[in-house]
Amino acid sequence: MLITCPYCGPRDVIEFTYQGDGNRERPQPASQDLDAWNAYVYDRLNPAGDHNEIWQHSGGCRAHLRVVRNTLTHEISSVAFTRGDHKVAARHKAEGKL
Amino acid sequence: MSPRRTDAGGRIDRLRTIRFTFDGTPYTGHAGDTLASALLANGVTLFGRSFKYHRPRGVLTSGVEEPNALVTVLRGEVREPNIAATMVEIYDGLTAVSQNRFPSLAWDISAANQLGGKLLSAGFYYKTFMGPAIGPLKNTRFWMFCEHFIRRAAGLGRAGTAADTARYERMNAFCDVLVVGSGPAGLMAARAAADQGARVILSELEPHFGGSANWSGETIDGMPAADWAARAAGQLEGYDNVRLLPRTTVWGYYDGNTLAALERVTDHKERPGKGEPRHRYWIIRAKSVVLATGSLERPLVFPGNDRPGVMLAHAAERYANEYGVLAGNRIALFTNNDSAYRSALALKKAGAAIVAIVDVRPELSSEMREFADEAEAKILSGHAVVATEGGKALSGVKVQRFDMANGALAGDTRSIQADCLLMSAGWSPTIHLASQAGAKAEWNEALQAFLPPKATQRWIGAGAFTGSFSTAEAIAEGRAAGLSAAGGTGTPAALPVVEAVPGDPDPAPVFEIRADGESFVDFQHDVTAEDVRLAHREGFISVEHLKRYTTLGMATDQGKSSNIAGLAIMAEALGKPIPEVGTTRFRPPFSAVSIGSLAAERFGDLRPERLTPMHDWHVANGATMYSAGLWYRPMIYGLSGETIEQAYVREARTTRESAGIVDVSTLGKIAVQGPDAAEFLDRVYTNMFSTLAVGKARYGLMLREDGLAFDDGTTWRLGEQDFLMTTTTANAGKVMQHLEYFLDVIWPELKVHVTSVTDEWAGAAIGGPKARAILAACVTGTAVDNATLPFMGIVHGKISGVPVMICRLSFSGEMAFEVYSGAGYGTHVWEALIEAGKPFGLVTYGLEALGTMRIEKGHVTGAEIDGRTTARDLHLDWMLSKKKPFIGSAMMDREGLIAPGRLELVGLISLDNQPLNGGGHIVEALDEANPHDSIGHITACCYSPALGKYIALALVKDGKVRRGTRAHISDPLRNRFGPLEIVSNHFFDPDGSRMHG
Amino acid sequence: MVERQSPLEPAPLELELRTGSHGDFEHGIEVILSETRPGSILQLAAWPGREKELIAGIRTVTGLALPDGAGAGSTDGARSAFGFAPGKFTVVDEAEGLASAFANVVTPAIGTVTDLSHGRTAIRIAGPKAEWVLAKFFAIDFALPAFPVGAGRSTMHHDVFAQIQRTGADQFDIYVFRSFARSFWKALCHAGEEVGYEVQ
Repeated sequence: MLITCPYCGPRDVIEFTYQGDGNRERPQPASQDLDAWNAYVYDRLNPAGDHNEIWQHSGGCRAHLRVVRNTLTHEISSVAFTRGDHKVAARHKAEGKL
Repeated sequence: MSPRRTDAGGRIDRLRTIRFTFDGTPYTGHAGDTLASALLANGVTLFGRSFKYHRPRGVLTSGVEEPNALVTVLRGEVREPNIAATMVEIYDGLTAVSQNRFPSLAWDISAANQLGGKLLSAGFYYKTFMGPAIGPLKNTRFWMFCEHFIRRAAGLGRAGTAADTARYERMNAFCDVLVVGSGPAGLMAARAAADQGARVILSELEPHFGGSANWSGETIDGMPAADWAARAAGQLEGYDNVRLLPRTTVWGYYDGNTLAALERVTDHKERPGKGEPRHRYWIIRAKSVVLATGSLERPLVFPGNDRPGVMLAHAAERYANEYGVLAGNRIALFTNNDSAYRSALALKKAGAAIVAIVDVRPELSSEMREFADEAEAKILSGHAVVATEGGKALSGVKVQRFDMANGALAGDTRSIQADCLLMSAGWSPTIHLASQAGAKAEWNEALQAFLPPKATQRWIGAGAFTGSFSTAEAIAEGRAAGLSAAGGTGTPAALPVVEAVPGDPDPAPVFEIRADGESFVDFQHDVTAEDVRLAHREGFISVEHLKRYTTLGMATDQGKSSNIAGLAIMAEALGKPIPEVGTTRFRPPFSAVSIGSLAAERFGDLRPERLTPMHDWHVANGATMYSAGLWYRPMIYGLSGETIEQAYVREARTTRESAGIVDVSTLGKIAVQGPDAAEFLDRVYTNMFSTLAVGKARYGLMLREDGLAFDDGTTWRLGEQDFLMTTTTANAGKVMQHLEYFLDVIWPELKVHVTSVTDEWAGAAIGGPKARAILAACVTGTAVDNATLPFMGIVHGKISGVPVMICRLSFSGEMAFEVYSGAGYGTHVWEALIEAGKPFGLVTYGLEALGTMRIEKGHVTGAEIDGRTTARDLHLDWMLSKKKPFIGSAMMDREGLIAPGRLELVGLISLDNQPLNGGGHIVEALDEANPHDSIGHITACCYSPALGKYIALALVKDGKVRRGTRAHISDPLRNRFGPLEIVSNHFFDPDGSRMHG
Repeated sequence: MVERQSPLEPAPLELELRTGSHGDFEHGIEVILSETRPGSILQLAAWPGREKELIAGIRTVTGLALPDGAGAGSTDGARSAFGFAPGKFTVVDEAEGLASAFANVVTPAIGTVTDLSHGRTAIRIAGPKAEWVLAKFFAIDFALPAFPVGAGRSTMHHDVFAQIQRTGADQFDIYVFRSFARSFWKALCHAGEEVGYEVQ
């Protein structure tokens, strides 16, 4: 499997580390909503088809990537840095952090 | 002159004689021969014994698909079994032996298995090794006793026991176009793509480029096809953008157009060149792939079809045309299609007599009849071979009238004298790689073959691979595929002109002749047509189940010659057409791959290892090195005659009495820099770091998101925005990734950079009552007294002219200091410290003494932070800040993590003065015969010089409230049982008066 | 000043790792291995949006103008610089003390400077078979059009992280963690045997 790192270009999967389901939403750090934390730490979608995943290019530039991978075909339809991620950016904007 | 070598012809070098042995008998051959062609030339017909029944077998094919002629090649003490004789190029001194026979190939004792053939039918292993369900041997081990012999009788070659000293390597390659197969289609594709400027790799599993052109006897552009192919390959050699890989089998097609190939670099050489690998494992990332892998001829299934002397038609044609070897002098052919007629002509031309062509088809084209006449062969159309005669070599065949509409045999059998029978059941495209890459193959009724599936990755097929079996089609498709793969359109140019023997590519839909006797479908696994039907009768109707139950297609040849016939027989039994029965998906590897090539360079002394800056000093000064992950660390610095325990006890005792020094360069070190560094550390550590003053260090604990303990270490504040974090040696990489994840994914707004600086610093920890005096004796530029360098303070100074950073912290529990210098000065500073310590009795100590002192102090490491323990379990709850959230804070108080009954850290003292074993269990009541009811386990143990006792750390259920009580170690594996006392994990100096000074 | 110790010497290295010709050198030396021992190896990292200022700072201090683009770099023989990750650059100088030269150029507002002069070992591989030997280790494309002179790449061989800069048509400088340097050097020598190598 090859993942096209936006910085390094296409690289073999051995250079990457899977860092979990990209659909997870981390609760606010001070949140005491245990259900939300449980969902974040343990709940996984495990879809048959397109899946949002976080991969780190640990054997390259070490950036984290948001990868959409089809779990049936291994086809990767998009790769982007998690930094500059619109969802994260929007959330932080809403929280007044940006 | 060899008995079967033709007087002229072939592409061997008749001026070069090669000497080799087979089963100890010396033979000669010529340069360019394979072991198979050279043995055939010498009149050898018996190559091996079959897998289950030990039936005599000859050579069936001339290539990679060979199921029968498997041999073991010996190189000195190293033996490599199960090599197809058709793929072994002979060299002077080649030593090959046959397999699966005892005492000799000709007289094999286990051949008696043939007589009991019925016993070894489909599902034999499944049925047999269940053991007798009734009778006197029920529930005995009798069958297990038999299994040993049965398994030994059935099998392939024996693996060797000598270490393989050959070198194997891995090679990464990138190209625009990978062309697999170098027949006319592949050569055209490579040339077309190369002319477009594409980077091209052309791989060929045989030694010579050209594929079928090397033996087809056809004419291309007015010259023999073989010459045309040699010229084409020669031209490609002149291209800078083309890499030619002969003897290279592309065996795997993976995601992202990544292909795996095995190059046999030196197998054909008497000895490898200096530094030359035996095999090279190529990992090829191709933008697009041209599959020009050709096709494989299929055998017919009829009684006695496995007798030595029965061979595929094209194989004999190839032996004659390419190697100048006649497979027989009186040759009969048995076919369901036209291609065998070309083979007959070629063999006639080479000097053999063609005694008959038996064709299952009642009607033949006039062209085929003319070819038969030209070959002076008797035509028996509408006939079939129903038996073969002879022992270890063929002497004749029996034929009978055959009705291909219903498979019925009629009339008298007649015998034909022949020493060789060639068969052809048509051709199957070699679609393995395409199948590996994705979708299911599609059945083509006319060709009676599975054609390549629709492309799911970037590949394009050409030639026989696509079912276009003529050379003219291969040439046209090859060029088109090459152009398309390279993204070019190209100007129309004249294609090379082919003169070939014509023929209809469509075979008759006949694969099996049902008559009395064993008809083999899978030669290598000894699976007969009757086995397939038996499997069906026993209820195995799925092709996947059929395959596993009968083991059809599961031998090392992966059913290259047997798949279609097996399917056809199954389909007939089921009363369904072949496409409804379906086919199995091909899996890598296409053909056998050496394990050595997969291990490649990560083997033996080439494994990566990490050495500290002082490594050579340790080795030169008597350290016994210990591998900790990839690192090498001193375990002890033993004196002569000392045991390990004596050495570490001496080292630890001396440290506590005067001073000791240990190399701590392996600790993970991470630079945490930036305006938000302090805030970031507050979030990742359970305790506060924003309040830490510059020039001070603090011990910190990290949790995982789920609230369990993750790692601990000290972090030093070197500047307002500049921290140096230390981690445990084992977790350095994991902590780094943890920090990077949160910065990149969760808190991208934080301005923090983290960088691994583990290797930047050499670290020496010096501790003991005399440690400060030793530093005072060698450090310049700073004082090291209590006021200047208090506990957890940091100073900068110099030792022997080298800048150092000194932090006063303690793992040993003594007054101790960690001295950091640039790694390039590590040994210099270390030696200066040793020199300064001499008058004070300074001792070097290793991991064992380090561990001993940490156990005495009750500090935790990875053995206790094991992914299941919480901060509370380890009595580190004092580090959990209530003033701020941190990673893990929300989850750490979950019900199960604070419930009673958890394993908690305790100390243990052995009461029988015997060592406690790591991993041993703790029980309340001892029961040596039936150990049970563990209340915990030992994580670390040692002899404590400070206490004069054997002690341990352990995780024990409700450990805190058990302090002061007694229990037992129960370690049945090592037969260690004994009483112990449960105590606090802080064995030694619990109030820390020694380190605080 | 005390001389820095290299992880490659004065170790009791095997003969074939020492200065001289080794492997199949009778058929010609096709690879030359050396340790370049730069005085300074720095990592410069810019905050998002401040990359251009950092690149300008590199030019101010070293005189090297970095082209645009991921992995772009430049070398003048004595000094080299290349990007190895988004906003991150490796800058190398023959001389020691480069960190202090950057102290006032890369301000905390722009980014950070991390001194790795001791922590990384620089190994140079040159010669017509340099690409061939490196391809045994790294799954990246070393062909000149894909990896132009001056450019840098971050990659790994098993556990060995490596930053590689192409400093000539057939010359590469490889920066590995110091602790791995000796075993990586050994592996390079081993891989170079079939083409004949010289250690300088």
